[in-house]
Amino acid sequence: MAIKLHDYGLSGSCYKVRLLLDFLELDYEVEKIDFYPGRQHKSLDFLEINPLGQIPVLDDDGTRLRDAQAILCHIANKYDASGRWLPHDPARFGQVMMWLMFAGGELMAASAARLHDVMGYRLDIEAARRNAHAAFRILDDHLTEREIEGGQWIVGEEPTVADIACFPYTALAGDGGIGHEDYPALRNWMRAFRRLPRFQPMSGIAEFT
Amino acid sequence: MGEFRDRWTAVGLEHQVEPGSSNPAIVDGHPLAIWRGENGQPNIWHDRCPHRGMRLSFGFVRGDTLRCIYHGWGYESGGQCVSIPAHPELTPPKTICAKVYPATTRYGILWTNLADEPSSPLPDLGPEEGWHPLRSLYVNCPAETTADRLRGADCGVPDAKAGNGGDGIATIETGSGLTLLIAIQAVGADKAGLHVVARGEDARASGQRLELARKMQRLRCALEAQ
Repeated sequence: MAIKLHDYGLSGSCYKVRLLLDFLELDYEVEKIDFYPGRQHKSLDFLEINPLGQIPVLDDDGTRLRDAQAILCHIANKYDASGRWLPHDPARFGQVMMWLMFAGGELMAASAARLHDVMGYRLDIEAARRNAHAAFRILDDHLTEREIEGGQWIVGEEPTVADIACFPYTALAGDGGIGHEDYPALRNWMRAFRRLPRFQPMSGIAEFT
Repeated sequence: MGEFRDRWTAVGLEHQVEPGSSNPAIVDGHPLAIWRGENGQPNIWHDRCPHRGMRLSFGFVRGDTLRCIYHGWGYESGGQCVSIPAHPELTPPKTICAKVYPATTRYGILWTNLADEPSSPLPDLGPEEGWHPLRSLYVNCPAETTADRLRGADCGVPDAKAGNGGDGIATIETGSGLTLLIAIQAVGADKAGLHVVARGEDARASGQRLELARKMQRLRCALEAQ
């Protein structure tokens, strides 16, 4: 049975999953969800698929998963024989998990700001931008330290699912009125990420040229 | 225009502006694009494409020209437009030119001057050699206040003594013979950039610089808490 992704092209969270599927050169089927303006993710039919009413959802051979970070771990664990994207050694595993939680937690403030500006969501935009800046500062501090150590990625010497999970809403921040001026290490990391082989762009994130 | 004072201001650390990249910065509310061609020469321009006003910091570098992300118009180091992809036969008129500011490096820091006719000297803290880059960081605090607060701020380094290195420059001397140079970038009403380099034996190894970079994060917290 094929991998099926319940997907929306403008979703940064769905993009995380597409990035890893493409890095691993996996074939998959796409079920398009009309997130905006259709709000199909809140439809009765979709709530049967994910009662949280969120995308992405992955169907993989009888396993149904929600949450982009969980899906990244599932795909890496099942299909990446090299273990490169989800390292299991004690020195890196915990750190990768930590940054995955950060990507699904603090960093989602940048997604909230974008939902407000691009899709008209009603929320406290000032708070969203402030919290997004606070999260970017944490990530930029970390990547600055990695730079000083001679490292380029969030954990270890190679990109991992932590980089994939943190990339989309960082790169899409401008859509939510959040600039990258204050984050030099973050900018260099994003540039390195876009240079990865088989990197796929999305609307708002140009292919590296 | 005479909009800006004749003074050199730090906009980043040289090593963090990669060849082949275009980067955004703000000085006194004025948006800048900092880009470096493959020849390594840094350029600091008004962050605005003369064609449709798109931010040039979103652009991309091809060889030694900066290309706007919107319609791909290409500009060479002097600001002159040299290529319009939609009209490949056309030699772009001389009037199509980006606004260019001076860009120079000293102590591993990238400096610019936005005045119409810059004549003030670059900040001078002695010889160019011996400085190691630490990091850039941004503090939610106006530049003038930041300079004042730096004097008493807790950076967690033993026997630290703050000094004044001139307009927009602070120094911290430590008990172990280390000098930190903090070049302050006035970003806007509530924000300043700190571009920090260090001189001394204790800044040679990457482990020592990592430790100092963490102290700068502590310093940022201290500055914002005041």
